Amino acid sequence: MIRARHFMLSFILLLGMTSLAAANSGRLVADLSKSNIAITSGFHGTDLLLFGAVDGAVGDDILVVISGPPTDIAQRRKANRAGIWINVETNIWQKAPSLYTILATSPIDKIANPETLASLAIGTNNIGLEIAAKTPVAGQSEPTANEFIAALQANMASIDLWPDQTGNVTLTENALFRTEVKLPANILSGTYKVRVLQFRNGVAISEDITNLYIKKGGLSAGIYNFAHNYSALYGIFAILFAVAAGWLAAVAFRRK
Amino acid sequence: MYIYLPIAEISMHIGIIIGLGGGVGFLSGLFGVGGGFLMTPLLIFFGIPPAVAVATEANQIVASSVSGVLAHMRRGNVDFKMGGILLLGGVIGSSLGVVLFTTLREMGQIDLVIKLSYVVFLGIIGFLMLLESVRTILRTRRPGIHKTKLHQHNWLHGLPLKMRFRRSKLYISALLPLAIGAFVGVLAAIMGVGGGFIMVPAMIYLLGMPTSVVVGTSLFQIIFVTANVTFLQSVQTQTVDFMLAGLLLFGAVIGAQFGTRASALLRGEQLRGLLALMVLAVCIKLGFDLALRPDDLFSVELLK
Repeated sequence: MIRARHFMLSFILLLGMTSLAAANSGRLVADLSKSNIAITSGFHGTDLLLFGAVDGAVGDDILVVISGPPTDIAQRRKANRAGIWINVETNIWQKAPSLYTILATSPIDKIANPETLASLAIGTNNIGLEIAAKTPVAGQSEPTANEFIAALQANMASIDLWPDQTGNVTLTENALFRTEVKLPANILSGTYKVRVLQFRNGVAISEDITNLYIKKGGLSAGIYNFAHNYSALYGIFAILFAVAAGWLAAVAFRRK
Repeated sequence: MYIYLPIAEISMHIGIIIGLGGGVGFLSGLFGVGGGFLMTPLLIFFGIPPAVAVATEANQIVASSVSGVLAHMRRGNVDFKMGGILLLGGVIGSSLGVVLFTTLREMGQIDLVIKLSYVVFLGIIGFLMLLESVRTILRTRRPGIHKTKLHQHNWLHGLPLKMRFRRSKLYISALLPLAIGAFVGVLAAIMGVGGGFIMVPAMIYLLGMPTSVVVGTSLFQIIFVTANVTFLQSVQTQTVDFMLAGLLLFGAVIGAQFGTRASALLRGEQLRGLLALMVLAVCIKLGFDLALRPDDLFSVELLK
């Protein structure tokens, strides 16, 4: 009897502890409908499903950050010189994400305050982007650092690579979440990092990271690799192909 | 149906590519020009990176020049000796052009230089062609008042290294065609054109070649100059998009046939007048692009 009571007590205690732990840290598992994507000749962007389960409570938010393989981005600024608009300045942003997109259950500013987002490195303002190399420009009013990053964000958004918050995540019964991810046609190949965070009262309480692999595939990969690995041979092949095609056309349409 | 272009690394509708090839092919058949000066700006306009547009167009011009030169060879309208000297210059010039192109690209100024070259050269050539065709049209209305010399002699004919060009009925210094070839070669590499629109007038007015052999000889040397550009761009910048070139070619071959047939409906000077207007239109469009304040002063390029 005493032993049974003792057992019951420890069971209740254990239960209480796990639910407490859940309330404090949460638990989150996320996955993608496909984690390998091939850029083939028919590639025109792709949609995929991100889904998962979370140990959630009423009012929780889910936030997803997808960031593409880092690349250097040349940012150029035009100015009028002698009547024509020419690039007068080049800034190189080193190791910037080639794709950056955020999806969430609510608008981002409602989920957490800017300081929290900054400490979690969420948003292109908060990932430590810096201009690595800069061509100086004489005698012109220089835009501020903020204007440069704002221009970069606008340019990258216009080519669909850093879109503003692109979609909504739906969270069902505070347990299951899902969202449709649209990737544009001009994405780079490489490893994409997908971060999924659970927020409660403005604090991130759990996080899961999965990878998404994008590779060139099929004929498109064949041509790309041929051009880069055997470039002299590729050049000769392109010339021979053109000569053959031109000759064929002349023969096929020869009249009289 | 969209197709992903492996070198340009963008996805484009296959109908647009073949349509572009067909449209420019039609005009090139109609006017007897290569069409590079139309195709390269159009490709850039449709979002193909300028470097890829220029290099790929060179590859396509190889094909259209081969098919064009065969017809001229059958009629014996190619001066191989003159063509050989021109292409020697052309290979030197286009090699320099590719180096210049790579440097300008790294400096971020290639777009500007491409556009400026187009505005300057299309402007000059278009204006001269328009003037000439208007004059011819007026002259045919008032016949019997023109006489021309075969060609004029000036200081250019005093240069050393004289050579006899039997087919062109010329005895001139080899340095002259060499220099012209080199100059057009540089432009061909930078502008993504064959350079026929500069080469042909240069051959007629500077070298004094008979018009019957001008087009064939120009096409003959363009094959080698554009082949050289294709090879060097492949090696140096990997910007020749074989898939894009193939599809453009397919459209251009068909378009050119219709163009050639349509050209029989118009008179020579009318054709030249129309071509001049088209050349000037491209020139003015690109000129405005440079002169008007762009909507966005900033632009980005991913350096992969």
